[in-house]
Amino acid sequence: MSSPTNSNTPAPIDLSPWRRVPTLLIAIGGVLAAFGAFHDYKQFSYSWLLAFMFFLSLGLGGLILVILHHLFDAAWSVVIRRVCEHLACLLPIMAFMFIPIALNVLFASPEMQIYPWIKMLKTHEMDHALASKQPLFTVPSFFIVAAICFGSWWLFSNRLRYWSLQQDVTGAAVCTRMMRRYAAFGVFFFAITLTFAAIMWMKALQHEWFSTMYGVYYFAGSVWMTIFTVYVLTALLKRQGPLRPVATEKTFYFIGTLMFAFTVFYAYITFFQYFIIWNANVPEETFFYVLRERGNWFWVSMLIIFGHFFLPFLLLLRIDVKLTWLMIPLAVWAWIMHFVDMSFNIMPVLHPEGYHLDWMDLACVAFIGGVLAKMFLKSFNAHPPFPQKDPRIAETMDVYVAPDEFVQAATARGINHKSGGSH
Amino acid sequence: MATTSQKYGILAEFETPAAAMHAAETVRDRGFRKWDVFTPFPVHGMDKAMGIKNSKVGWFSFLGGVTGYTSGMVMIWWMNAVDYPIIIGGKPMFSPFGAFPPCYELTILLGAFGALFGMLFMNRLPRLHHPLLKHRRFALATHDRFFLVIETADPKYSENETRKLLESTGSKRIELVEE
Repeated sequence: MSSPTNSNTPAPIDLSPWRRVPTLLIAIGGVLAAFGAFHDYKQFSYSWLLAFMFFLSLGLGGLILVILHHLFDAAWSVVIRRVCEHLACLLPIMAFMFIPIALNVLFASPEMQIYPWIKMLKTHEMDHALASKQPLFTVPSFFIVAAICFGSWWLFSNRLRYWSLQQDVTGAAVCTRMMRRYAAFGVFFFAITLTFAAIMWMKALQHEWFSTMYGVYYFAGSVWMTIFTVYVLTALLKRQGPLRPVATEKTFYFIGTLMFAFTVFYAYITFFQYFIIWNANVPEETFFYVLRERGNWFWVSMLIIFGHFFLPFLLLLRIDVKLTWLMIPLAVWAWIMHFVDMSFNIMPVLHPEGYHLDWMDLACVAFIGGVLAKMFLKSFNAHPPFPQKDPRIAETMDVYVAPDEFVQAATARGINHKSGGSH
Repeated sequence: MATTSQKYGILAEFETPAAAMHAAETVRDRGFRKWDVFTPFPVHGMDKAMGIKNSKVGWFSFLGGVTGYTSGMVMIWWMNAVDYPIIIGGKPMFSPFGAFPPCYELTILLGAFGALFGMLFMNRLPRLHHPLLKHRRFALATHDRFFLVIETADPKYSENETRKLLESTGSKRIELVEE
């Protein structure tokens, strides 16, 4: 297997046999998930929540990569921006994937509720923790938060892509200014909505628990997994052709650097969430980790320490490894690790005795993944593969376009700037 | 005194980064070993043009980091659990979680030392004098000129051939530098 980043990229792979994979995933996953919903509704609800939070990461990661690109006025990430914009535009689709969770909250019987606090509300048995978290932990608030989250994600992902596509046609500077404006406001909305989403949809499984780092914990894992995905997509699109002229060694090196940064950032957040709770030793907080040290959940936590952090950390240490084929299996590993991490956060509530991989987990992942893959491919095929007229596209491609004043001054001094003085 | 002076190398001056880069590519392809390029600012792609491999300084910082982490863990374990055990907050005598923050700091500290001293060692620094500093035009390397120097110690060096090679790369000012 050769490096995905070589300047002499090998010939495209024939992907036509894979064309039907998203449809197959939707069909098989959909049938199995629907069967599961009747077979064991509670397991289905948790599996769906797991798959939902897993793929929500991808959309949120794409959105923040686009926002960061504009905030830093970066040149190198122009190449991957369109891919990230399409990933971000998967967020409104995730609003439809939220429907089974919403239905569970609204209509399921108290025993079948995903969230124990809603069961408490319905049976009028509020505990102290829940009473002191009113009025956020009420059913109307739950839906208001969801509406604000999906509303702002739709707004920012849609507007950022709209102006980016607009620039492909007009090449006008006003598009860049508009994208920057949306990015500058968007980063605040992003931070607040992501935190609320992580609290209301995942942390609220144990509403008694406190952790001020939970939002940023979900953020770190999400972006980590998204960057690996972007690496694979970029490498594939370079090999297949669309990104061949623009994706250079530099592009892959910088994505690799971000992968490394977020590997460390995730470990930092995860460790300190544990460390602060361990150090304070307050029962209202420690019960979260006590539950996750019982049965084989202990070994799952070890897998997260060594597989989510140490393995990618040590593999990514070397500067040159970020350009090798090793990154492709590592990206697959990152998906598995993020899935394990999400299971570690969600599943102990349903299965306190220990971890087991349920077939419904895979069915829900297959269904949502298939839908998202189909939507991603649809929008990718409908638009140019990278921003065509971005002001920094020449810089990205390592083409130096000298400003007019410089050309005149250099000509006056007798320097031929184009051939670099080699006469 | 001056008659016994030895030659250090041959110095070619360029006016643009691109010219220096093309010259570096030529010199690299001819298989020279003891040579260097001096520019007023970092030129992207110069490492590749000069054929410089990945720096070995990373290994020094890695070793420094591993030393810092392990010595921190061993130190805290020995002090808190063996030499002078005190129960604090009902915690175990030694726990890798409690010991982690100081060990992490030591990892960073010794890693940084490794990087700094490794860099100085690999560059054979500090040194008090370098023959190039005597050359009157070389100061322009901090201003607007780009220099390429090939040392006489290079096995491929020959005064006439090397000068011709550098002329062919487009340098208009080629001078010998004395030791």
